[in-house]
Formats: sequence, structure tokens, C-alpha cells
Amino acid sequence: MIVAEGKPVEKILEMLTPYKKVLIAGCRGCVTVCLTGGEKEVGILASQIRMARSKEGNPIEILEQTEERQCDAEYNTKFLANVEKVDAILSLACGIGIQYLGEKYPSTPIFPGVNTLMLGANIDVGKWEERCFACGDCVLDKTGGICPIARCSKSLLNGPCGGSQNGVCEVSKDVPCGWQLIYDRLVALGQVDKMKEIIPSKNWLRAKGPRTYVREDLTLDRS
Amino acid sequence: MTKQITNTRIGIYLCDCDGKVSKKVDLNKVKAIIQGKEEFEYIRTVEIACTKDEQAQITEEIEKYSLNRLLVAGCSDPFIMRKFLQMADDQGINRYNVEFVDLSTAETVEAAASVVNIALSKLHLRAEIGCEELSVTPDVLVIGAGCEADAAARTIAKNQPVVQIDNVGTRVIGLDGFPGAFKVRLLEDGQTVLKDFGAIVLALGAVPQYDKSKYGGVELGADVLSLSQFKNSGKDYTGKKISFALGKADGDSLLSFAAVLKAALKLKEKSASEVSILYEDMKICADGLEQDYELARKKGVNFLKYTGEFQILSFPSGVAFKYREPFLADPAKIVADYIVLAEDFVPAAGSLELAEIFDIRTGPGGFFQQDNVHFLPIRSNRAGIFFVGSCHGPIHGTDLYLEIEAVLAEVSVFAKGKVSVPSLQPKVDAEKCAVCLTCYRSCPHHAIEIVHGDEYNNMYNSAARMNPLACQHCGVCAAECPGKAIQLPLYSDQEILYEVKKPAKIVAYACENSGYLASEFAKSLDPELQKDLQIIEVPCSGKIDVIYLLKALENGADGVMLCVCHKENCKFVWGNNRAEQRKERAQQILNQVGLGERIDFVRVAANQGNQFNTAVKAMAEKIRQSGTNPGKVVK
Repeated sequence: MIVAEGKPVEKILEMLTPYKKVLIAGCRGCVTVCLTGGEKEVGILASQIRMARSKEGNPIEILEQTEERQCDAEYNTKFLANVEKVDAILSLACGIGIQYLGEKYPSTPIFPGVNTLMLGANIDVGKWEERCFACGDCVLDKTGGICPIARCSKSLLNGPCGGSQNGVCEVSKDVPCGWQLIYDRLVALGQVDKMKEIIPSKNWLRAKGPRTYVREDLTLDRS
Repeated sequence: MTKQITNTRIGIYLCDCDGKVSKKVDLNKVKAIIQGKEEFEYIRTVEIACTKDEQAQITEEIEKYSLNRLLVAGCSDPFIMRKFLQMADDQGINRYNVEFVDLSTAETVEAAASVVNIALSKLHLRAEIGCEELSVTPDVLVIGAGCEADAAARTIAKNQPVVQIDNVGTRVIGLDGFPGAFKVRLLEDGQTVLKDFGAIVLALGAVPQYDKSKYGGVELGADVLSLSQFKNSGKDYTGKKISFALGKADGDSLLSFAAVLKAALKLKEKSASEVSILYEDMKICADGLEQDYELARKKGVNFLKYTGEFQILSFPSGVAFKYREPFLADPAKIVADYIVLAEDFVPAAGSLELAEIFDIRTGPGGFFQQDNVHFLPIRSNRAGIFFVGSCHGPIHGTDLYLEIEAVLAEVSVFAKGKVSVPSLQPKVDAEKCAVCLTCYRSCPHHAIEIVHGDEYNNMYNSAARMNPLACQHCGVCAAECPGKAIQLPLYSDQEILYEVKKPAKIVAYACENSGYLASEFAKSLDPELQKDLQIIEVPCSGKIDVIYLLKALENGADGVMLCVCHKENCKFVWGNNRAEQRKERAQQILNQVGLGERIDFVRVAANQGNQFNTAVKAMAEKIRQSGTNPGKVVK
């Protein structure tokens, strides 16, 4: 899942200063699941902005709407009626959704209400951890199912650096050493020999954007 | 989802309470104001609504005007409310469709009309609450092998099928499902079997454990025995001197006291030469214990009071206690052939594993159940799982039988294989449900499952569902839901936010188990203070959503408060902690826009009316200093 966090409200207030009527657009996909941009957060942010602007003597009218996924054009048509009524959109979807909704309504300025952080797992209510870097060249088969790119602070491919202390990364005591995790898992699997295998340097071109992905067998000829 | 019921036919009765209300407020004028709204079927002012004649007339009117919801404005006497609810129920209007409004505190016609109007709108917004008929398994699983478990199993077996396991030979390894339909995974002769049970009763007991650190490091031996060793020894103590010591271990239960008194009496019968009981405080406040104590005194048992520490001395010829008697200057000594020492009780082996498998909470000493005044002794944090006896802390015999009776009453609900339960659990709007598991993970009662099917109208064809038998209606899930997909009947967002459309100066969201009761008490202590205060009752402070707090201020309140149970004192395990976290979030949001001083969080118990008023006064004073809320949004 894509994980995002709310943008600081002072930044949002700054972006919206010139506008009198704004649509806050929520998304029922990842940002609802990561508790950042669903209907609930749309309501909270709207209320906060209304109060802030009233207090400044510069009242704002805010419409609230949340739809399935802002990364799909069809769902974004649902915003049309409200987009026509406002002079700006504040989207609480991930970076993908924000841009895609903006593309749908190019004449209305769109602003981000969140910072998109990572591809992560929901460890427990209110806790997320990165698990994937979307590098485009998966090595999980060699590393006991634990990703050295996403979970080693230096994205090292062949064992830990000298900064691994008692299973903790030198970058922060809150970060477990990714290579310690890999080692422990390989030991548990009886595959510790895999540590000896040299993983060749990675083709980072696959991680470099702008990336596209096309499946000829699926693309539809609409002519 | 809460939907507006289009066929609501509301009857309004404005009761003068035998002339009490009309001293301040002319009910005919109130009626005139309300009549302008035309959102009801019938309205009438009544002299005293609770008389037999009036009740008969109201019954006729329910029939004549086909009323299906009632609004009764007058006093707030619980006895009269009950009478009304009974009458309404007889007419097929269930209790959730009857709303009471207290007019005794209304000072003006406008104020009275306003509270009636709010109640009227809420009655309109209220979702229909029906009853669900559920098939359940009558079988009860009793876990434990001791006398407590045997007694519980025997009693319940008279009523419905019981399976008793010792959790050693056959042991629990997993649990799924809900009350009435638990699926218990058992390990039986090395095989995993799945069995259905309606309810589970834990009766694992407690086991004695000698802790030498309580007795200055003294090891047990031939003449220094623990109380359980002594009980099991079966030795003949004729002509022997025996001294018991109480109070150093097992200070909390009466078990050691009961056991020592019984043993002392028996020794006297069997002509032991001298029996002494060394005690610090004699605890005998249970059925039969005081009689045993009196009898023991009569039979010549020595009761020796000590204070502070005592020493256990060992000689070739015997053993002795050296102790300080409270009224003697010099240490006293009592010599014996045997010394018997009380032991602590600890949870039976396997208790911790079971607590984990069932996800039920443990408290002091690792015994089942959290230390919380709101929890009934036999109930766990999960409906359908009960405790009997010493597994939730050592208890004395007579209490055990009371507990077994209480558990029987609970599990017998399932005995007929069918139950009817009011559908009060939150409802999920599948279209909005992102199946994110936030509710599932936040539920303190394991009452939520994710269900799948074409009827769930979202991209996952799935939604969260609250089980009507497991749910305890705290509303924590509804407040957590990031998609606003969950609504708790009687406390939907619509209903609650309606109340703050035109808020009073101070809005206080109050838990009905603490803050709300305190506010009721507070009214009588300082009626003047209540003028600018609006109390909004929630089933648990865990239901207070951040948006509730913001909307009160956005709509023009000058201050907003959360009135919450004390720490570790939430009826719903962690609702009050969630409330505290949400207050922090709201505080941060308000700080960011310069309104941070307009929110307060107060912990009060039901009887703390004064503390409640102090908190309201503090809020009022803060507001007075900061002036009117500049964040109010003028529509």
C-alpha cells in the first residue's frame, strides 16, 4: 500500500490563501487505509481550514467529497459537479491521485494535502513501515524474502556495512539492520550459504523514471 | 448507515408534571412553537402523563394515530420512564423509539421548545432498531480440572451440554468466531480438532506457591512446612505443637485464613497438644469464617498477634517463631514441633497461554481480568468468555457458588439454541468501507469480522461486520473508521453533529459511565453554571471523534470539553485512552490555527460532580479571558 502523511496545515493554508471556494477531494484507496486521506480526514481538515480562515477574517467555503480512487480516470469524473463550483482543489490522495485528478480538470488548480511517503505495510493501528522501493528488479529470492534495498539504510546488496551494531543500524537506533534481518531469516531457513553468493551490481536504470509499463497483450485498440 | 426513516409517526406529549413545569414555562406556548415545525403526527399537553387514565388515553392515541415513535417531555424520573417504556413496548414501540426530554431545568419557553425540537430531530434521524434472531450452539466449554471447574461444569450441565477439559491432556490451541458460535481448536491426543461452543468458562483455579523471600529466606523442610504441604501431609499430629503463620504471603485473599482456621479446628479435634496462629490482621469477613474463628478461640487455639517481621528459628528439638507482639516491649517466642507457613497463590499453569489465545486481559499477579471497577467479576473483555473461581484471583468458597450461579445465568442464554438480540451493534456502509482493518484492530471486544459477498457494494466485495452478540456498543470502531463507514445506532454522526449545529457556549462530550453521570450530579450542585453548558452523552469517550470536537467550535461554541473516565477505568478497556489520543490530535489541530485554549480534557468519576463543575468553571474562565471564538464560521 502507498503510505502518505498529512501536510503541515500552515503549508496548506498558504497554498489556499488566494482562493475563496475549494474542494477537498478524498480517496477511498490507500490513503483511506493509511488513515490520511479518507472521508474522515477530509472532514477534519475542512473544519480546521474553515476555522483558520474565519479567524483571519478571510472566510473560505469548502466542499468535501471522497471517491473510490483518484488514480483511475473513471472515478475522477464523479468530482465534476463539485469541481465546477470551486476555484481550487486540495487533494488528499497520494501523489499519483493528486496529479491524475489534476489532469482530469486542467483548468482548476490542484494542491497536495499530503506528502506521499512510501510503499509500506500497516504494522498496527497508526504504524507503517517501508517494505518496497519499487526498484523494478526484485532480489527477494536471494535475501530470504527481506528486501536489502528498502530495509538497509544504504541499500547494500552484499551484507551489512560496519555500522551494524547488535542488529541495529548506525543511522538510527529505531532502524533494525536490514542485513541482520536477512541473516537471521537465512539462518532460520537453513540457507545461510546464500550469504556467500555475490549479488551483482543492480541495474538502477529500471528504478529511474519516468517509467511506463505496457502489456501489448492487454492494450485495447479502440479504433 | 443511518437513514432517515420516512414513515416515522411521532407523538409528542408535553407533561406539566402536576403543575411543576408551568410554574416557569407555559407549555401551550411551547406547543405553539413546536407546532410550527410539523414534523410529527400528534402533540398534546398533559397534566400528569404517568397516571393510569392518561396512560390509557396515550395507548388509544398510539392506535388512533398509528404512532411509532414517542417523545415525552416532562420530568426525568426513572420510575416514570420505565412505566412509559413498558406502555410503549406493549403497543409495539420499542424502547429505542421513545425519547425523554427533561423540562425541569428549562427556564423559558424558548429553552423548553429548543430541547424538545432537538429531541424531535434526533428521533427523526434515528435508524430503526430491530431484533436479530440468531442460531447459537448451546454447548459450553469449561476449562479446568480442579474442584472449581468441576462445580461449574456440574451446575451448567443440568441446563445444557458441557464439555470439560483440563487443558493439559486436551488443550486449547486456537479460537475463532463469536459468542454463541465459537470455534475452538483443541489438541486432543496429538490431533487438532475443531469444536463448536456457545460459551467458554475458564475455571483453571489458582495454585499455591511458597516464596522464601517472604520468610527471610527460610527453606521448607521436615518441620517447616508450607500450608499446602501441611494439608496434603496426612500425618498424625496427636500430641504435637503446631504454629501457623498468616499475613506474610497471600495477604489479599481469605483462602489461607479459611484453610488455617479449618486446620486448627481439626488439629484440636485430633488432640494436638498446642495449636497457635500467628497473625498480623485477622481477615475473616466471609460466610462461616467468623464462626470458625470464635470456635477456634473456644477450643483453645492460641491467636498471637505480631507486628513487623518475625524470625523462624530452628533447634535440634524443634522450631520457633521469634516475633514482636504489639503491646510487649521484648520480643516474644513460640516454640513448636512444626511450623506451617501461608503461601501466595499464582495462576494455574497454562493461564497465560490461554489469555493470549483468547486475547483476554490479565491483571495483578497475572490472574485473568484487568483491575478495573467497571468489569463484573465473571466477565472478560470478550462476550461469551467467563471466569469462575480463583483463576481471576483467589476467592473464598461461598463466593465461588455465587459466581457459578452468575455464569449459569449468562451461558443459559444460549441453552435453547436460539437468541433474540436487539440490533444495537454498529452498521457498516459497505460502499464506504475500505476494508482497512482499523476497526477490526481497534475493537476491544473482538466483535468485528470481515465478510465477503456480492451484496457488499465496493471494489473488494467485502466489508467489516460487527457481531451482535460480541459487540458491547462502545462506538470505538465508529470513531476510528477513516472512511466514515461505521455508524453506531442511537449515536450516529448525524445524530451527534445535529446537536452541535447551534451549540451552547461550552459543549461537553461526556461518557455515560462517568462524565455524564457527574454532570447530572453537578447540575444539582450549581444550577447557574449549567446555563451556558451543553452536555452531549456518548456511550464511551472512545466514541468522541476529532470531528465532533472541531464541529462544536466551527459552529460557534467558545469551548469544547471531553469528560472521560479515569485511567484504567474504562468499561470498554481502552476507550478512554483513545479519547485522550484524539484530544491530543484535536489540540494540535487547534493549536495550529490559534484556538488551542478552547479545548479541555477532564477525567471524572460518576460521583465527582464538584470536580466536573471545577473543570467547567476553568473552561468558562479561559473563554472569558480569550473572548468569543474567532474561529466560528458564519454560514
